[in-house]
Amino acid sequence: MKLRLQITKDKDIRFISHLEYVRTLGRAIRRAKLPAAYSEGFNPHLKYSLASALGVGVVSYTEFVEIELAEDMDVEEAALKLSAALPRGIRVLAADSVENNTPALMSVAAGADYRVTLPYVGDLRNAVHAFNSADVITYKKAAPKTKAGFKEIDVKFYIPKISFKQADGNTEFNFSCKITPTGSMKAVDLLNALNESYALGLPVEMADIERLKLYRADRNGKKLPMLSENAWIKK
Amino acid sequence: MENELSIDILSSVQKPARYTGGEFGSIVKDQSKVEATIALAFPDVYEVGMSYLGFKILYHLVNKLEGVQAERVYAVWTDLEAKMRERNIPLRTLETSKKLSDCDIIGFTLQYELSYTNILNMMDLGGVPLFSADRTDDDPFVIVGGPCVFNPEPLADFFDFAVVGEGEELLCEIMEVYKTWKKNGKLGGRKAFLDIVSKIQGVYVPSFYEPEYDAQGLFTGIKKLKEDVQLPVYKRAVRDMNDVDFPTSPIVPFGEIVHDRIMLEVFRGCSRGCRFCHAGMVYRPVRERRPDVLLDLSRKLVDNTGYNEISLVSLSSADYSHLAPLVHKMIQEFKDDRVSVSLPSLRIDSFCVAIAKEVNAVRKSGLTFAPEAGSQKMRDVINKGVTEEDLMNAVQAAFENGWSSVKLYFMIGLPYETDEDVLAIADLAKKVQYKYYQVTGKRGCKVTVSASSFVPKPYTAFQWFGQNQLEEIRRKQFLLKDALKIKNVTFQYHDAKTGIIEAVFARGDRRVGKALYNAWRLGARFDGWSDHFSYDRWLEAINEAGLDKDFYASRDRSQEEAFPWEHVSPGVNRAFLWNEWQKAKAQQLTHDCRRTSCTGCGICQKLGVKIIDYAKEVEG
Repeated sequence: MKLRLQITKDKDIRFISHLEYVRTLGRAIRRAKLPAAYSEGFNPHLKYSLASALGVGVVSYTEFVEIELAEDMDVEEAALKLSAALPRGIRVLAADSVENNTPALMSVAAGADYRVTLPYVGDLRNAVHAFNSADVITYKKAAPKTKAGFKEIDVKFYIPKISFKQADGNTEFNFSCKITPTGSMKAVDLLNALNESYALGLPVEMADIERLKLYRADRNGKKLPMLSENAWIKK
Repeated sequence: MENELSIDILSSVQKPARYTGGEFGSIVKDQSKVEATIALAFPDVYEVGMSYLGFKILYHLVNKLEGVQAERVYAVWTDLEAKMRERNIPLRTLETSKKLSDCDIIGFTLQYELSYTNILNMMDLGGVPLFSADRTDDDPFVIVGGPCVFNPEPLADFFDFAVVGEGEELLCEIMEVYKTWKKNGKLGGRKAFLDIVSKIQGVYVPSFYEPEYDAQGLFTGIKKLKEDVQLPVYKRAVRDMNDVDFPTSPIVPFGEIVHDRIMLEVFRGCSRGCRFCHAGMVYRPVRERRPDVLLDLSRKLVDNTGYNEISLVSLSSADYSHLAPLVHKMIQEFKDDRVSVSLPSLRIDSFCVAIAKEVNAVRKSGLTFAPEAGSQKMRDVINKGVTEEDLMNAVQAAFENGWSSVKLYFMIGLPYETDEDVLAIADLAKKVQYKYYQVTGKRGCKVTVSASSFVPKPYTAFQWFGQNQLEEIRRKQFLLKDALKIKNVTFQYHDAKTGIIEAVFARGDRRVGKALYNAWRLGARFDGWSDHFSYDRWLEAINEAGLDKDFYASRDRSQEEAFPWEHVSPGVNRAFLWNEWQKAKAQQLTHDCRRTSCTGCGICQKLGVKIIDYAKEVEG
């Protein structure tokens, strides 16, 4: 069976990289002594994967890890064992199991909800209205390793709509961002795109970015939860 | 919290996770119950510092004490330092984000002379006055320990006291004494506390001693400023390694560190007696851990860390008395956990190649051997106790077992070395390649020759030796480079300049502290990193201090000359070292005392410790 767990990357450890996060999970799986499956070959490695990569500095309450087990075990027991083997900044919130032949989590993640908070008091009504009604917004992201030196991102394809509220000197953006089999876009690039398109001067470097939700989608784009309704939920 | 590392700062620096802690196994106590905090400070970046076994041990032991919190702090890389200085952000600990200036004690480890500027820089970033004389009752105590503590004088103006030798027991005693003194309202102020600790064996308080010099500026001796202080201050040594706690739940970092594996200390000390070797002298005597203790520790370490590799560490792990059975048992024990066993270094013999084959069954990476010198004469000078035949047998075994590349470590600039001896390194590389041809019938054996330039260290037989001048080292490097223009041979060497500055501080006296301060003020940081090291800056710093680098580095010392480090002692007799220095000249060998007779270094007798080795025990 495959174990599926909803886990966090809390504020305290937001600056670890995706690779570091993945390595940390691998070691925790070993510490928890889950009956995890290993690959064949001279240098066997654990069979586990994450639903989606998270950028350095981004907090998340909704990461998903899928662990292939060599033998079945009780989901709650697995969740509790892994919980005890994780560093403080990673918590297990829910757990579920699926058959080994179920498509990988990575291939089913369809989108994520974000909250971005930053110190900004400028008037955003026009810019946000313009963004939401635009057909196409393209952001040229610097990509030093490519021939062109940049990559064009179709921002509106990934993020059709944004909302915002302002209080106490801060601005909070909320939006959903599409994830496709070929990739997604970073929340920080939305801010860059807004700055570029509407000359807002948002202090991008100060942005506190949180991923609130990750979900699957049905054919019509309706959001569906990643785990089944039978999933174990942390009390 | 104000003046903290904010999102924008951490987003803009390299590897920000270095600065945010929260790793599995890190210890944060209920701060309302913490009476004393010590920051274990490593003067290099996180990845280097986290690989240091000494601090893993002390972190674990000190945190076991009630009411005491041990925290960690590392040097910040230059990108973050610039931001911290720009915004006035103090250096803080990883566990509770405590400003260094708010800690009770800051304990720096002295691993390497070229990390000393980082110590000053960390104090400065942490808001701690650099000179011990300028610290008040509100400031922390700055203490030092580690291998370079056996000449602490270059730092004597900066630290309050030194913890000499093995810290397992000593540091815990100090923390308990500190707790009591603090509970009593810090009665009598700083001076009173220094008074108290100066009575603990192994504690050196430099402000209670004054160095004396003659008219020519030669050090003549140390004067006690207080009647009842220890002179010399002998190191502390653990009697039996089976009795001291070894950490079985070390911190497991998020990212990759330099030694990213379980480090299991199989024994402490090495008595092979290589005459250049500082560690071999200051960590004596050899004390092994029992095989059953090691197996028990390794099981716990595997369970608690999730690592998939155990490295059996010590100064020469291949000398462990029960190495083969231990390795067999470990491989069996951890097969299902997919944990491999590794050795950090190999002795030059076929036994070691056999072990290497077993532990390294999968990855056929190159094998590394350290003949240290190219000619038999030089290997006898340094008391290496290895012949060319030993090396040929070892590489033959390696080639027969499928290895096709070998790395060889050497030193140049050793005492009594001639050009012939230097060129013998190239001959040896050729012979290794030919051995490969003999064994396999093929050409193409890759040999990497690495030659470092020798730095004389205190408490070694070569402490009297004047280091080769920069030009001389360069000439020898050039000579060797030319001789090694051979197909499939790679020659690695470093600019000899760092070795010169290292030598100044290795055998420096209290006066070179001024040069250290000057260098730091001129911007010296991370001098152990070649891209940050500036020789010209160091020369300027030394000149400004009115000192001469040659006086410290390249001057031959006489038999009578007193040394400025001799009041802090690992227990070795000066006469023993002098005799070794004479035997070096005569190319005479001294045997290893480990399993034969005592060679008279004097350490066991002086410290009341003894060799612990299980070679004679029946396999259990």
